[in-house]
Amino acid sequence: MRVNFVLSEVATGLRRNLTMTVAMVLTTAISLGLMGTGLLIAGMISDMKEIYYDKVQVSVFLADDVTDQQRSAIEQELAGSPEVAGYIYESKDEAYARFQQQFSQQPELVQNTPADALPESFRVELVNPERYEVIAAAFPNGQDGVDQVRDEGDFLDRLFSLLNGARNATIAVAVVQALAALLLISNTIQLAAFNRRNETSIMRLVGASRWYTQLPFILEAALAGLIGALLAIGGLVVTKLLFVDKTLAGPIRAGIIPPVDWGAIAFISPVIAAAGVGLAGIAAYVTLRLYVRL
Amino acid sequence: MIELQHVTKLYPASSRPALDDVSTEIDKGEFVFLIGSSGSGKSTLLRLLLKEDDPTRGTVVVNGKTLNTMSKWQVPKLRRTIGCVFQDFRLLRNRTVAQNVAFALEVINKPQRTIKRVVPEVLEMVGLEGKGNRLPGELSGGEQQRVAIARAFVNRPLVLLADEPTGNLDPETSEGIMLLLERINRTGTTVVMATHDYHIVDSMRRRVIELNGGALTRDQSRGVYGVGR
Ligand SMILES: Nc1ncnc2c1ncn2[C@@H]1O[C@H](COP(=O)(O)OP(=O)(O)OP(=O)(O)O)[C@@H](O)[C@H]1O
Ligand SMILES: [Mg+2]
Repeated sequence: MRVNFVLSEVATGLRRNLTMTVAMVLTTAISLGLMGTGLLIAGMISDMKEIYYDKVQVSVFLADDVTDQQRSAIEQELAGSPEVAGYIYESKDEAYARFQQQFSQQPELVQNTPADALPESFRVELVNPERYEVIAAAFPNGQDGVDQVRDEGDFLDRLFSLLNGARNATIAVAVVQALAALLLISNTIQLAAFNRRNETSIMRLVGASRWYTQLPFILEAALAGLIGALLAIGGLVVTKLLFVDKTLAGPIRAGIIPPVDWGAIAFISPVIAAAGVGLAGIAAYVTLRLYVRL
Repeated sequence: MIELQHVTKLYPASSRPALDDVSTEIDKGEFVFLIGSSGSGKSTLLRLLLKEDDPTRGTVVVNGKTLNTMSKWQVPKLRRTIGCVFQDFRLLRNRTVAQNVAFALEVINKPQRTIKRVVPEVLEMVGLEGKGNRLPGELSGGEQQRVAIARAFVNRPLVLLADEPTGNLDPETSEGIMLLLERINRTGTTVVMATHDYHIVDSMRRRVIELNGGALTRDQSRGVYGVGR
């Protein structure tokens, strides 16, 4: 009955301020959803770094008219260089096969590209990825069978700074939303406490502790936070099913973008739920302490 | 049991003190009427005994505890040893009669078994058997006051404070309430009751403490309401 009592207080409170409760739940859900998205992007970035960064830092593209002699000279130089941690050779055929796979979603593009259009190359992993210039200097463009040396790291840096920007923007909006949610929670709790000040003062007269009278309000906020978190998690699941798995299916299969797997969502869900419940509960507690005399 | 030493209460809003250097002592098991014209400080005195407010000067002791030095978190404990009844009943509107009474036991962590047994007993004692499942709004004023008394008495408090408990009731209903308070007093509970009802005071002939403009002007055992009457 004691637990029942508190719970029925919570239910009454949430129903009494239904519109405020809905607003509270929605802002919390949006904020937590964005936070989850930010976390997923962050996870994706580190997955992508693993896919790209560790493998290729510099590509040495060979000219169309490269001779066998030139090719083996380049290979020898790479093999002997202390700057090079490893390299792989990619022939025209291999390059084309990889291209076909990457752009399998755009068959016209594949059809319109002749099989020998893509250059053969050495994909080089450096001991120190920052030392791109040394390799570039060793293989001047357009000489000795080398067409071009490209710093893939540079391209990746730009790609990742874009992704990092997206992540930061998402998290920034999430924080602003969280602030709005917290203010709304604080407001709702003040209103609820005001609405029930008679009941509360009666309970206090009978000897109920401060905790006992405050608990329903805190649980109320925490419950709203939990519902918001569940909505946010639902939103992430829907986003994965409808956007990531459908629209981004091609690049994911080609290995350009890592997939968002269920494990990642399962991993961040408890974080989101805890953030929702914790922040709402703490906001309510602080509000009651600072603004409400119960 | 209850002790006031030179208690003065000044409200910030007014220049005249609500209580002016009041000293008195009330022993265990006494029945005391607190009388005085409107604004003389009766409710203020009861509020100090409940530590709903603190005196500006002076010392208040209730049930052996000095309220002046008591910290906030100890207040609930104090109130669990004091029952209180008010003119406006102060029942939880959305709780049944039985739940209202049970609440006083729940806050002192009485086990469910005890609550299930004790609540109907007390309701029967105040004459509300069979009405435990009603909401306060479905009862008459007199019945609601009986619920309030049941709630105040259910955990056998050492002191019962009543602020004009019959203020909203007709004379016959008031008489019933007074019989109930007397009965509770006979169990050893100290009763302090603020009232304007001279019929009750005159017929019961108990100790009378009179306040006048916040000052204690009369303290008489087996007293009557008006001296000249
Ligand atoms: N919260 C308050 N703030 C300011 N002044 C107050 C407050 N409560 C009471 N007073 C003042 O203190 C004085 C005593 O009030 P109190 O309520 O104790 O009188 P009372 O004897 O209970 O009167 P009544 O018989 O009408 O209930 C009054 O002058 C009143 O205006
Ligand atoms: Mg009064």
